[in-house]
Amino acid sequence: MDAHAYDAWYALWSEDAIYWLPCNLDDYDPARHVSLVYENYDGLKDRIDRLKSGQAWAQDPKSRLARVVSNIEIEAGDAITVHSTFNITASRNGRIEVLAGRSEHRLRQTPDGLRIAFKKVMLVDNDEVMSNLTFLI
Amino acid sequence: MTDVAALVLADRVHGSIYKDPALFEAEIDRIFHQGWVYLGHASEIPDPGDFRTAMIGRQPVIFVRGDDGEVRVLMNRCTHRGSLLCPHERGNSKLFTCGYHAWAFRNTGALAAVPFRERYGEDFDKQDHDLRPAPRVAAYREFVFASLAPDGQSFGDYLTPGARRELDLVTDMSPEGHLLVNVGVHKYQFQGNWKLQAENNIDAYHFGFVHASFVDIQRKRSGYNIAAVASGDSKARIRDLGGGHVAWDYRPINRGLAKKAMADDAMFPDWRREWHKRLIAAHGPEKAHALILGNPSHAYIFPNLALIGSQIRVMQPTAASHTRMFVYPHVLAGVPDEVNLQRIRAHEAFYGPAGGGATDDFEIFSRIDRGLAAEVDPWILLSRGLGMEEVDEDGFPSGQVTDELGNRAILHHWRALMMGAA
Repeated sequence: MDAHAYDAWYALWSEDAIYWLPCNLDDYDPARHVSLVYENYDGLKDRIDRLKSGQAWAQDPKSRLARVVSNIEIEAGDAITVHSTFNITASRNGRIEVLAGRSEHRLRQTPDGLRIAFKKVMLVDNDEVMSNLTFLI
Repeated sequence: MTDVAALVLADRVHGSIYKDPALFEAEIDRIFHQGWVYLGHASEIPDPGDFRTAMIGRQPVIFVRGDDGEVRVLMNRCTHRGSLLCPHERGNSKLFTCGYHAWAFRNTGALAAVPFRERYGEDFDKQDHDLRPAPRVAAYREFVFASLAPDGQSFGDYLTPGARRELDLVTDMSPEGHLLVNVGVHKYQFQGNWKLQAENNIDAYHFGFVHASFVDIQRKRSGYNIAAVASGDSKARIRDLGGGHVAWDYRPINRGLAKKAMADDAMFPDWRREWHKRLIAAHGPEKAHALILGNPSHAYIFPNLALIGSQIRVMQPTAASHTRMFVYPHVLAGVPDEVNLQRIRAHEAFYGPAGGGATDDFEIFSRIDRGLAAEVDPWILLSRGLGMEEVDEDGFPSGQVTDELGNRAILHHWRALMMGAA
């Protein structure tokens, strides 16, 4: 994700995937409240196609990124649920932005290996005035 | 004070109107602290005690529905020692209690309790220390506006008939005539002057270029080129509604498109047909048809409000080169759930800090802010369509949608206000 390897990232998802960045609150019914991102597999494809188009000005130039993922907890069952926290430093146009939050991944074993069926990212500042979040989070 | 008249000409403007900190302070004072500004929608605070805090220019306010049911705009400042009274963005409360000395105010603004009051003496009257309301508050179709000046242009003169029609257009898409602004808010910021966003709201010329990546993906998905509406041969019009308010007029396009779209089940699924059936039942076929042809709404209401499709967009200037945005998607009372679900999902695809459209606008605003620092030739062109204006069927000055008629309407109104017009 830090390397903007869009196709490699997309290959990690299952076809029934949901990618969710809640807005304002960490949890609610996404049919009744706006999100920062609430995308299915097609929506994810649109996202990476846009980023690859050379015309996504918000990533021209690209953000330079480094993230730390820590505090990982794994609940193994039929599906594997992983809770983690992250800290992303994003540098662009002479400015540094710091993003932090918690993620929940639900992973599924498929014939091709583990795939992400669900990812929810709860940014600590999802109810604040935010800046450019157009890189992969 | 800079000579504003020399900075905004018929066909161009001087770049300093987007950069000069002294001009910024003057526009906060003259436009945001004296004129009418949009504050909020009454559906955000449906129940007694519901509140949301906001800013009018630099001044913090509480937008609140009192226990008596009345919507008020109260200055968010304790009348005792001036502390910010309510530090929360939204909530529900019977009382606002100051953290400093626990002066407590009802949600109507009335001072309810003063600890150890006897030391203020016998002639202390609590009523003298109620929260101060914004001097003037007025609403149209549940859109609430306020002015911090006790006198000045009347609300009736501010919100021109053309602007009112845009609020009607967006509201009447609900068969019950009721918008619900209760599905959250995207909050983001950009490096650049607030007027860059004000003008961009109605700048069709940029759409196919700034949003090329989004347009291409939509074309692949649906077969429709959504940039056609904003191309140089589009039949859509831009019109000057007076008072610095500007709108796009989609009717010339929709007259042709509506029939084609309605025959296409992908564009016109059952839930959309049901919605239109309910609009016809609510408004009669003639008005329902006019609503459908008129939409989506695309208007800028001077100075800080835009109505773009299914959203209320609020601009909050914070510095000459910094702006905060509050974008409220809204849903409709009295429609199938799928209509509102689609509104929310469509909104997310383009808007918000992680969306595929608005983020590119903000990048461009920041490039303008940086480009304007090159002052060898400080002028910015505004001449597209100048001299080609027509008066449209409703009596508004109008141009081809990519004309800079809207930019001129906004900035010429801005100049008049900055030079002291009411």
